[in-house]
Amino acid sequence: MKKLLFAKPDLCTGCNRCSYACSAAKEGAFRPSRSRVQINNYSLEGCSVPSVCFQCPGASCLKACPVIAISRNEDDVVVVDAEKCTGCGDCVTACPYGMIELNDNSCAYKCDTCDGDPACVKECQPGALVFQEKDPEIVKVKVLQMKQRSIEGSPREKRQKLGSAVMQATLEARG
Amino acid sequence: MNLFAGKVLIVDLTTGQLSKEPLRMDWAREYWGSYGLATRYYWDAVSPDVDPFSAENALVIMPGALTGTIVPMTGRTSMTSKSPLTGTIFNTNVGGAFGPELKFAGYDGIIIKGRAAAPVYLKIVDDEVSLESAEALTGKGIFETEKSLEEAVGTPDARCLAIGPAGEQQVPYAIIGSDAYRQMGRAGGGALFGSKNLKGIVCRGTGAVKVADLQGFWAKASHYKETNLFDELNLWAKTDGTPVLVDVTSEVGVLPVRNFTQGSSERLQSINTDAIKAVKQGERGCASCPQACGKFTRIGDAKVEGPEYEALALAGANCDVYDMESIIRYNSLCDDLGLDIMSCANTVALAMDITESGRGDLGLKFGDVDFFKVVTEIANLSTERGRDLALGAKKLAEKYHATDMSMEVKGLEMPAYDPRGNYGMGVAYATSERGACHLRAFTLFAEDPFDTSTLVEEVQAMQNFNSVKWSLGFCEFWATLDSEILADLLTSALGEEVSADEIDRAGERIWNLNRLFNVKNGFSAKEDSLPEKVLNRKLEKAGPSEGRVFGLEDFEQAKQVYYRMRDWDENGIPSATKIAELGLDAFAS
Repeated sequence: MKKLLFAKPDLCTGCNRCSYACSAAKEGAFRPSRSRVQINNYSLEGCSVPSVCFQCPGASCLKACPVIAISRNEDDVVVVDAEKCTGCGDCVTACPYGMIELNDNSCAYKCDTCDGDPACVKECQPGALVFQEKDPEIVKVKVLQMKQRSIEGSPREKRQKLGSAVMQATLEARG
Repeated sequence: MNLFAGKVLIVDLTTGQLSKEPLRMDWAREYWGSYGLATRYYWDAVSPDVDPFSAENALVIMPGALTGTIVPMTGRTSMTSKSPLTGTIFNTNVGGAFGPELKFAGYDGIIIKGRAAAPVYLKIVDDEVSLESAEALTGKGIFETEKSLEEAVGTPDARCLAIGPAGEQQVPYAIIGSDAYRQMGRAGGGALFGSKNLKGIVCRGTGAVKVADLQGFWAKASHYKETNLFDELNLWAKTDGTPVLVDVTSEVGVLPVRNFTQGSSERLQSINTDAIKAVKQGERGCASCPQACGKFTRIGDAKVEGPEYEALALAGANCDVYDMESIIRYNSLCDDLGLDIMSCANTVALAMDITESGRGDLGLKFGDVDFFKVVTEIANLSTERGRDLALGAKKLAEKYHATDMSMEVKGLEMPAYDPRGNYGMGVAYATSERGACHLRAFTLFAEDPFDTSTLVEEVQAMQNFNSVKWSLGFCEFWATLDSEILADLLTSALGEEVSADEIDRAGERIWNLNRLFNVKNGFSAKEDSLPEKVLNRKLEKAGPSEGRVFGLEDFEQAKQVYYRMRDWDENGIPSATKIAELGLDAFAS
């Protein structure tokens, strides 16, 4: 079975090492705003919720791309071909989780799991980000996150919607 | 530019003028950032005799040189100014994520001068900077203020520094809050924001921090994280956080109990690290920190990130309050309304002592689990008692003829380590630039807590190293760092050789630069003092520290050894040779 990136929000401390690592790996500098994994922080509630790309089956971004610049590779990862991308932004609108955006050169970027060795996971000390095969427990955690779809708003607003709902669920589980 | 953003933001609140200046790279290489560089810029911005509350006073806010990188525990930011509580120069330091955000927005610091005619906040979104009206936020707590400021920027990714009503009322131990439960806590930064009609700063940065050799730098950061940080000596931060100290300090007899009358307690099971774990909800980390020492707790509707050791000891044992819910409520109220939990709890314990001894009636008694309700009165100056407690320990004691009971140095209330049971902490409190501070040097784990000659050596070495460690943005809790490691990281970051010797000299330079500022204000050996209670009154119920004082003769002798070690004269003034050696001639009297 193929490995996927999963988030376990209850373990996230909000340190953002993942987004420092991701941007360093992908952008060549520490630039969390361009990280492919984003953290929604709720400091007052003592909770942080990672937003990760689910590499959705039937990915909305892939379906929306008018020039077929987005495809699924042999590892089941949804990838952008920068050469083909025209920067139309249809994928950005289509993604219900706010996990694909346009960079400074108007080219779409998203998580590609670093060819099966994600930089974010290696820097996540509390184990809130894991790269593993599916199991019933992790699927349950993921399904809760995947239910929080938004069809409107900016990527940040979409992530915030997922973050708020998952934060509430996390607080309820903590009791 | 590598590591640095290359610009400093200058804010004149009187004229409303905002400008950007190139970072002084010559200063950056001598003082690096945060503690050191902010102090260097502060010297340049004011006359040493400036009144803290005047429009002429400046506030210099700077992240560390390594802030915004993946080097663990480098997310800290500090502010240098003159303290309304102590009249000295002071630097106050916060974790969270404001500093990295400021670097990502493209600034190595903010210099604030003047005074706004009406309440304002400073809004920074990358290149766009503006002053906005904060009238609608007047009187609001820090939690609500941060939320409003984030909404004003349009993204919860924005980070804030903000004050509550205590800062607006210029309570001399008011704090500047960030990320809800983190503070520039000590010596009155919040009151300075208040005096300038500055309610807060909100910042969103989408830019980058670059380094010369990314792969090499990242590999070194990972290497030191794995081989040095993840060591038993630092592990407590992850497993327990600071609450682990409650049992430790009691065991060696330096835990403050009943306004520093006793040094240990048998009732700690309700406020020690196990008690924290019993109500812990999750763990919280500052930007870039893999340790996550913040333990988030909740009992019913009472919640806080913490309480940390200082709250458990000073609001708990020192007030004879062994009730976790009361301490959580106290801590959260201070964080929201904007008071330093340490200075406030120390002052409350003094008020309890004054009341129980009959020297006055402040309506507070040891063991009162409702003591936390007084926080609102202090922050809003809404009652006579609140106004009394807002004076701080030194002035409250003077008012009630109780100076023999107050526990402060230079007006800064003492942290929760009684120097009678650890003489090193006494020397550290007496010689810190901002009064009784446990962060400049921390000798709790010294082999012999009464061997002054060894302790003095340790104190001055720690003061020097910490000065440069904080200038790079590091947290106190990476205790095993050394200057070789710092030099190695900086070499990769800048792409030019930085030596350990250069790092060590920067530390000593920064310490002396702070000293010279206080010397210019007339501070000398006389003010490097300890409270009467420490010098004369025997510590009770203190195990190995039972019956101890840090007597005047012993203390004065230790102080003189300290001065000689620093090449300062017997009056505590840095010698001409030392000043020249550190390149500080321009700052000498």
